[in-house]
Amino acid sequence: MSIIFSKELVELFAKKDTVKVLATTDAKGMPHVVVKESLQLNESNQLIYFELLESSQTNKNMVHSIWFNRPVAVALIGTGGESYQIKGKPVKSIVSGLLFRDYYVKIREQLGDVDLAAVWVIEPVEVIDQRFNIRSREEEIRHPYFKHLDRLAK
Amino acid sequence: MALALQKENENQKNLSYFEVVREHPDVSPLVILKMDVQRRGVHYTKNALSVVDESVHQLRSPYIFGSRDAQIKPVPESLLLPDGTSIIVDPTPLEQNPYIVDVIDGQLVLTDRGEILETVEYWPKPDFYDKRTSSGVLMSHIVSARPQRLNIFQSGFCHFWANDKGCRYCDIVNHFKQQRAELGIPAKLNPQDVFETVREALKQPGRFTGVCLTSGSDTRGAEPFDQEVDFYIEILQAIGANFKVKKFPSQLIASAFTEKQLTRLYEETGLTSYTADLEVLHEELFNWICPGKAEWIGYREWKNRLIRAVDIFGRGNVSTGIVGGVETAKPKGFTSEEAALQSTLTEAEDLISQGVNVAFIVWVPRPGSYFRDQKNPSLDYFVRLAKGLHQLRVKYGLPIDFDDYRRCGNHPDTDLSRLL
Ligand code: SF4
Repeated sequence: MSIIFSKELVELFAKKDTVKVLATTDAKGMPHVVVKESLQLNESNQLIYFELLESSQTNKNMVHSIWFNRPVAVALIGTGGESYQIKGKPVKSIVSGLLFRDYYVKIREQLGDVDLAAVWVIEPVEVIDQRFNIRSREEEIRHPYFKHLDRLAK
Repeated sequence: MALALQKENENQKNLSYFEVVREHPDVSPLVILKMDVQRRGVHYTKNALSVVDESVHQLRSPYIFGSRDAQIKPVPESLLLPDGTSIIVDPTPLEQNPYIVDVIDGQLVLTDRGEILETVEYWPKPDFYDKRTSSGVLMSHIVSARPQRLNIFQSGFCHFWANDKGCRYCDIVNHFKQQRAELGIPAKLNPQDVFETVREALKQPGRFTGVCLTSGSDTRGAEPFDQEVDFYIEILQAIGANFKVKKFPSQLIASAFTEKQLTRLYEETGLTSYTADLEVLHEELFNWICPGKAEWIGYREWKNRLIRAVDIFGRGNVSTGIVGGVETAKPKGFTSEEAALQSTLTEAEDLISQGVNVAFIVWVPRPGSYFRDQKNPSLDYFVRLAKGLHQLRVKYGLPIDFDDYRRCGNHPDTDLSRLL
């Protein structure tokens, strides 16, 4: 079943000042984390981003992920303290066709003389609200032992 | 020992796609699927054909080699996998047990024995396909497209066929005759037509990343192959007139030329890479399978010319193609897949270590070729060949950007090099 994003998350994706980060791993498990301003939602509620550099480590890691069914993670941080993590799987690398052409034209209008290697499509499988107050409340409920006693002292 | 080897080969031959994927957890299942689809071919169901939209999808266009059903029909050109991998494959008679392309639950899928293996897409049609040159020729008859490259086959004739010394797996001349009779394909391209077609193709944003030229060998000229070189130069200059830079991403797949001929090609045109196909990496088998190449140049000289080409085109810009599996052709080929693989990879290492890349295509015994009734090797064989070539590229740090999944799409081993 596909993930339904909250209104807040959809808005966070659309905001210009949201920091969007993509984390991938290579064949040996080496992590690679980069800011991807182009991360956005498509009409099918999937994440997409524009890969401008065909030889980038992220692009290689995405190829590795789609081949071997390995997850990737996206972090979104808003200026209002919003913080989300989305885990997902690359399901498509758009490299040709009408959709590719539209994206290619769009990105070049935005950024000038750049190339477009691929538009990666990531199917979200889990959304985690990473705000500290939410995460600490969860921990309080699920792991009541996880605390120092002095915090409980009179 | 011999019996054990034979048993091992028989076992390999019986492995299904899923078993081969399990045997090779380090090889992309999508690339393994591509190899098996190329090995066995495809059949399009009525449903699959009913979703073809001629305004959006590319139908089969003129090609240098023929298809397994020996027919020229308006069926989809080929397929794309979700990771952007191209499968260059042609329709195959059902009795040969091809993969089936079908529509299930509204999705175009590849199936085998009723099981869905993967979603696929038809290749997108390029904008220039229905246009005509000023001389009135349909542009798709001048230049054909892959998802991201332009193919220019400037002549459908190979002079090795003149004295029956064409390569034994090749059907170029028979296929050319069929294309000329059924489609009116010109025997030789006119440079002005090529110029105009490439100019039109480049108007499509984000579509093409490279140009590839090839045709049959032409032995004529003051020195053997001079006419072939002259014609390539003429066509490359016509293509180059469309670019604002001298050098443009391009590949020429041609005969093994002398240094003098190669220097002319490099200096007088925008060509950036050069490929001369040895086809089979074994001298005796080369002499048997490629008698024309053996007669005019010879295996060792062919190799030497490739190595010398690296000095002209640069490391990472020279390669040789092989017809993967043809080394097992009967009756003179290897009878053991193990031995065939070992021999091929040893020879490939010799070339790769000297800067000459090696890339394979899956051998398809085509009806118009001398080897028409033969059978290609097991899927396991092709996977090990792809893996072996990729590992050699990694070992020697030799890039294959000019002939990779995007700029070619017909070599499973260079698909693996997306991770290089
Ligand atoms: S050189 Fe061999 S493979 Fe190439 S066109 Fe001639 S016969 Fe065919």
